[in-house]
Amino acid sequence: MAQVVVVTSGKGGVGKTTSSAAFATGLAQRGKKTVVIDFDVGLRNLDLIMGVERRVVFDIVNVISGEARLNQALIRDKRVETLSILPASQTRDKDALTKEGVQGIIEELSKDFDYILCDSPAGIEKGALLALYFADQAIVVTNPEVSSVRDSDRILGVLQSRSKRAEEKREPVKEHLLVTRFDPVRVERGEMLKLEDIREILSIPLLGVIPESESVLKASNTGTPVIMDGESTAGQAYADAVSRFLGEEKPHRFIEAEKKGIFKRLFGGRAA
Amino acid sequence: MSAAPRPDTSPRIEPFRLRGANFNLLVLRLLDPRPEAVVPAIGDQFRRAPGFLRFAPVVLGLGDLDMPPGQVDFAGLIEGLRGLEIVPIGTTGGTPEMRNAAMAFGLPPIRSVGGKESEEAPPIAAPAPAAAPEPAAPPPPAPGMARPTMIVDQPVRAGQRVWAQGGDLIVTGTVNAGAEVIADGNIHVYGALRGRAIAGGGDRADARIFAQNFDPELISIAGYYAVREGLGGAPIGKAVQVRLTGERMRFDPIG
Repeated sequence: MAQVVVVTSGKGGVGKTTSSAAFATGLAQRGKKTVVIDFDVGLRNLDLIMGVERRVVFDIVNVISGEARLNQALIRDKRVETLSILPASQTRDKDALTKEGVQGIIEELSKDFDYILCDSPAGIEKGALLALYFADQAIVVTNPEVSSVRDSDRILGVLQSRSKRAEEKREPVKEHLLVTRFDPVRVERGEMLKLEDIREILSIPLLGVIPESESVLKASNTGTPVIMDGESTAGQAYADAVSRFLGEEKPHRFIEAEKKGIFKRLFGGRAA
Repeated sequence: MSAAPRPDTSPRIEPFRLRGANFNLLVLRLLDPRPEAVVPAIGDQFRRAPGFLRFAPVVLGLGDLDMPPGQVDFAGLIEGLRGLEIVPIGTTGGTPEMRNAAMAFGLPPIRSVGGKESEEAPPIAAPAPAAAPEPAAPPPPAPGMARPTMIVDQPVRAGQRVWAQGGDLIVTGTVNAGAEVIADGNIHVYGALRGRAIAGGGDRADARIFAQNFDPELISIAGYYAVREGLGGAPIGKAVQVRLTGERMRFDPIG
């Protein structure tokens, strides 16, 4: 049976899609058969970040409405063999998603894949509810900022009450905290929430801390998941997080402000 | 018995769902069929705790009524109880004729889960229920006694609302910003209280709020409330108990 993992946050713009792309790629790189589904019908982005936007023929709505078979809509990644993408529709809205339709897709994908990642849209409306409904595990993406933390708190409550596991009173959805866009320097200056404060409020296990990094934007624009950039701090942090997700012990990196040497202070310079 | 944590009113995917559930209800055993005897007696009983039963659903216990159903003024009883903001929702016990009579007034028979109904029902043993008004006899199930405490072991998260109906509420973790905890009795929060806490729901002015780390958005006791801006003098971030003295809220460090 495949594990269904929702990547969610409540708030928009915190890095759900970036994290979905990185995680899916990371899991596939470790040999796990992985498919990542874009649930953001109407505002599809995942295909861009995965660099497959020019190969989209059919999408999840076509599959649900019976206009295409699942196999026709799945896009196989050219870089990592075990990775597939199921894109969202750009021209429809989230009402086109139905619970039965999503269930059918997840059941069919479960036969062939080890991990099914659901990239949730922002908000707590239909698209987000359907993205998390079938989840076995949840990666809650949070920025070190009060509104993001509060929205994540909200979505954790929704996971605990509105997911299929909650409704069937089974073992609850396993929750992971992924803090993104973390800038230790700004935390030190008191401009961002401290890691301890976020952990204290959300009180779920910390999966990883992704440092703010210019390479994320560059990766998005070139359609290469940032985890493939092994040089960048963000890419390394995602790789660590994937390892932890698979049960390995890894110390958290990039959470302390770098002590700048005299030359760096004189000449500036930023983390790659 | 009480509302579980649940998110508020986001649109549902399905229009409805039918499920069985168990409820803890108060039974108002009628010892006298006359509204003019019953209603003022209840009013007297709860004068000290006004609003205790406010909009509380009650089940009318008919087992002690030993007269033809025609002599029971159901319409008057319903009206009188509603006047006290008590909402009769059904009946228990009594003869089939009595239950049918009540049904005609929109009060269906409600079966109790453990079959206790039948234990209470046998009026055979009851030595001729004197049928005298007996205004001195208080309504039997003094509801002030049964005050179950609700314990919540998970953090109460933004958008969640926990209501300990009819009793105290204990939260062993935190109440996060954007969450709401409500109790008819006292509220204890052993983590940080960052959301809203509303105690003494039924006008219970003696209710208190205890928090290990007091940092709320709003607190209220028996209808008196203070928002965060009005908590200037309170020891924020400390272990605090809040109570009402007269119409003022008092914040005292504890521990």
